[in-house]
Amino acid sequence: MIRVRTRTWFVVVVCASLLFMLGSRFAMFDPLENAALTIASPIETGLGDVTRPVADFFNNLTDVNRLSDDNQSLREENERLRVQVAQLQGADTELTELEQLNSIREAKPNDTFVGANVFATDTNNERRVVAIDRGTQDGVKEGMVVITRQGSLVGSVTRALDDVAWVTLVTDPTAGVSAIIQSSRVQGVVAGSPDGTLTMEFVEDTGDVKEGDLVMTSGIGGRHPPGEVIGRVVEVSNAAQELFQSVHVKPLADLEHLESVLVLDSFLPADPGQP
Amino acid sequence: MSLAIGLVLVIVASLAQVSVLPQFSLFGVQPNIVIVLLVAWIAVRGQREAFLLIPVAGFLLGILDSEPLGLAMLALAPLILLTELRELELVASHLIPAFLLVVIATLVYEGSILLTLALTGDRTGLPGSVLDILVPAAIVNILLLIPVYGAVRLASVDLQRQPSF
Repeated sequence: MIRVRTRTWFVVVVCASLLFMLGSRFAMFDPLENAALTIASPIETGLGDVTRPVADFFNNLTDVNRLSDDNQSLREENERLRVQVAQLQGADTELTELEQLNSIREAKPNDTFVGANVFATDTNNERRVVAIDRGTQDGVKEGMVVITRQGSLVGSVTRALDDVAWVTLVTDPTAGVSAIIQSSRVQGVVAGSPDGTLTMEFVEDTGDVKEGDLVMTSGIGGRHPPGEVIGRVVEVSNAAQELFQSVHVKPLADLEHLESVLVLDSFLPADPGQP
Repeated sequence: MSLAIGLVLVIVASLAQVSVLPQFSLFGVQPNIVIVLLVAWIAVRGQREAFLLIPVAGFLLGILDSEPLGLAMLALAPLILLTELRELELVASHLIPAFLLVVIATLVYEGSILLTLALTGDRTGLPGSVLDILVPAAIVNILLLIPVYGAVRLASVDLQRQPSF
């Protein structure tokens, strides 16, 4: 039997929660959240940096199967990186980042970016959302597309406060991106899922899709600019009597270990309400 | 150990939840140190202090995460009712009810958020998520409970004459 005191307190807390949610709907707590996140940002970044080596060690222990695959790809990457390191020897980190930014800008000369650091991740397991240390005061707006420094799609800004913003990753269950297979121009919609994987939906069963194909944004719908790399096809299955193929896509960006991103501020998505 | 220490621990746990815990993924999910800390606190310290810590933790998580402020508090609110389970003292041990509490608390917390997302129109795939998220999350939190319970127990100097396990 639950005591009256406990029941009363439960009702009080539930009512307070609902009031907070109502206030949040009308952005009443945005200044408070912005202030708290701005203060917490350096602490969270510091905590994340300090524990990253421990986390890497722990994750390697618990992921033995992936390790052997990673080992092979890391050997190849190591060779490539050695060449790069030799080329970049003497340049400091800041200069390297500027060079990366420049290389993206050269590829798309009209694009402009806001660089941002990822300092937090959403607290529940159902969502794939990260916080960045740039907000509306830096020109970040809701709907803006976010990419990695290497140029592959990360997601889009779903909530922008004054000094911080929340980016919903492309792997989030609520995310959906109009996509195209680069080689065959087959179209579909790349959708996230609660387990963090990507599926390309609505791909006609006659469409030419193979493992290893590059998946890019198509630009249809105006929510994302065309030509942003999303990932590679890792599995294609075509069940009998199905209208669409099941296409699994692996994101090119390492979305589980994001540290810094670029917000594409030269592209504003089309308003869904507009024709 | 005073309530003030509990509040500090809840603040540290909330900060760690958004910055440190996402790096520690097991079975595809991240543990929730805030839930585990609250359950350990309920089990070791009892209902009274937990009454304040539960809404404070929910408020802090709400401020630090991307969901509407209040959702995390709402998802943690059933823990208030679950404190009664500890007060019944059906067994001499506090750890055994803590295991049960952490499973129920995890299922309720993650389930509440899933349900809210589903009700607001997000494509969460509710049935699949139960197996993919809820069950692994409960297992991971059980594993985390053991060290956190031990730490709260050790820090509870004023309770060390009482049976611990």
